[in-house]
Amino acid sequence: MQIDTAQLIPLAIELAKIVAIAVVILLFMLLVVLYIVLKLRWVIARIQSRLGPNRTGPWGVLQTVADALKLFQKEDIIPCGADRWLFTIAPAIVFIPAYLVYVVIPFGEGLTPKSLNVGIVYVSAISSIGVIGIITAGWASNNKWSLLGAFRAASQLIAYEVPIILALCVPVLVTGSLDLNVIVAKQSGPFWNWNLFNGFPMLQIAFLALLIAGLAEINVTPFDIMEAESELVAGFNTEYSGMKFALFFLAEFAASFTLSAIIVTLFLGGYHPPLEVLGGRLTGTWLSLVSLCWFLFKCWLVVLLILWIRSTLPRVRLDQLMNLSWKALIPVGLVNLLATGAYAALWLAR
Amino acid sequence: MTAAPSGCCAELGPGRLKRSLIKDILNAFISIPKGLAVTVRNWFFTRPAVTELYPEERRELPERYRGMPSLPVDPVTGRTPCIACGACARICPEHIITVVPEKGADPKDRKPAEFTIDISRCMWCGLCSEVCPKNCLRPARTFELACYTREGMVYRLEDLMRLGGTLRAEPELEEPEGT
Repeated sequence: MQIDTAQLIPLAIELAKIVAIAVVILLFMLLVVLYIVLKLRWVIARIQSRLGPNRTGPWGVLQTVADALKLFQKEDIIPCGADRWLFTIAPAIVFIPAYLVYVVIPFGEGLTPKSLNVGIVYVSAISSIGVIGIITAGWASNNKWSLLGAFRAASQLIAYEVPIILALCVPVLVTGSLDLNVIVAKQSGPFWNWNLFNGFPMLQIAFLALLIAGLAEINVTPFDIMEAESELVAGFNTEYSGMKFALFFLAEFAASFTLSAIIVTLFLGGYHPPLEVLGGRLTGTWLSLVSLCWFLFKCWLVVLLILWIRSTLPRVRLDQLMNLSWKALIPVGLVNLLATGAYAALWLAR
Repeated sequence: MTAAPSGCCAELGPGRLKRSLIKDILNAFISIPKGLAVTVRNWFFTRPAVTELYPEERRELPERYRGMPSLPVDPVTGRTPCIACGACARICPEHIITVVPEKGADPKDRKPAEFTIDISRCMWCGLCSEVCPKNCLRPARTFELACYTREGMVYRLEDLMRLGGTLRAEPELEEPEGT
């Protein structure tokens, strides 16, 4: 078959663009994770009257870089009796969804890597693939702690998937779109246009429910029973070391940025500045840059909130965790969704 | 406070169970902000870090710090006032002090030719300091005594003088009541 080179050139350019965007997102994700880990250690240290990392580089800023380099050097151990093939692909199954979610997040005006008209569905669908990786890791490790951690992960993530989706539906009903870009655009203008400050009390309840269930979904401390150190050694990743452990670690901390990005996008006006004077009237590249800064700043605040909660609350028991989801969050979420539906149909539709 | 945790109290009946669950959830809205307030106070306002940056910043040792025995140097004569009487060597419960007086010296000006302490067996009891008639065997103000060999733990006269620093007036003793 004759291949026309003139047709191939635009295809190659397109491909190069995709690769470039993928690399940029990957680098961004790595930077975010390096920062969040460092910030977590600093914040928890300050709260516990310690200093935290302060040796590697100025003020210890290179600590996580050093940790990552150490992990890359470590021997990659596969325990005997483990299912080698599953054991090897499990970190990838956990990491790739955490990475793919970043693709639809509107980072700034015109800075969405890939705008999808079913953005929220994509986010919630892709981010729940990670559970399969966690269960695979626990099963393949041939270790009872890992398996217990995986069981807990499965029950926890299934239980909290439901309230998350119920909470996500509320801003979708109010804005009338599944597209993250449209949801952000609807919240433009001053900060009282943001979803969090509208539709009292449905959107506020949805915000709280999303925050609580999201914390459970990304396994941070009040809900980290799947890796409860004092009970399960390290949970599903007990047997992992080196690069594979680094991938789990990366996915976990990338997920906390994803949660804050989703919260910011849905409830806190996305990349819009709180007042139009603070960068809303710019155009072109400047607008993109300033809106990116605002987005990152808001995400930073939400990440700080997550770290704050994480360093305050003790871990809940498994039964309490299940109760919170099935007996509190899901009924409240359902009623809230019903109320929002009525509100959207009777009030907003007019 | 009601001790019943939610969820595991089926014997209380469905009515009680439901009420305690709702109470727990309402309580969470009060107690979680309370906890968050405590941590944020620590985070930004109260209590500086208690961590000591040890090798760079050392703690001031207390005035009467009880370190290993040492022989401070008298700044006037340039040597220790020790008269090599051997009282410390005799009282030492571990027999780790060896004192050899200088031979053929003026009996009114005795001084040690050799003064060795094997610190690896010292238990910091301080009896040697207590019994010293010239009050010249004093606790050294140092605690970094780690070394790689047992021989390194044996301190000779010059080491003890170096560790002791210059002789200072004995810190004031607090007179016991009624004496």
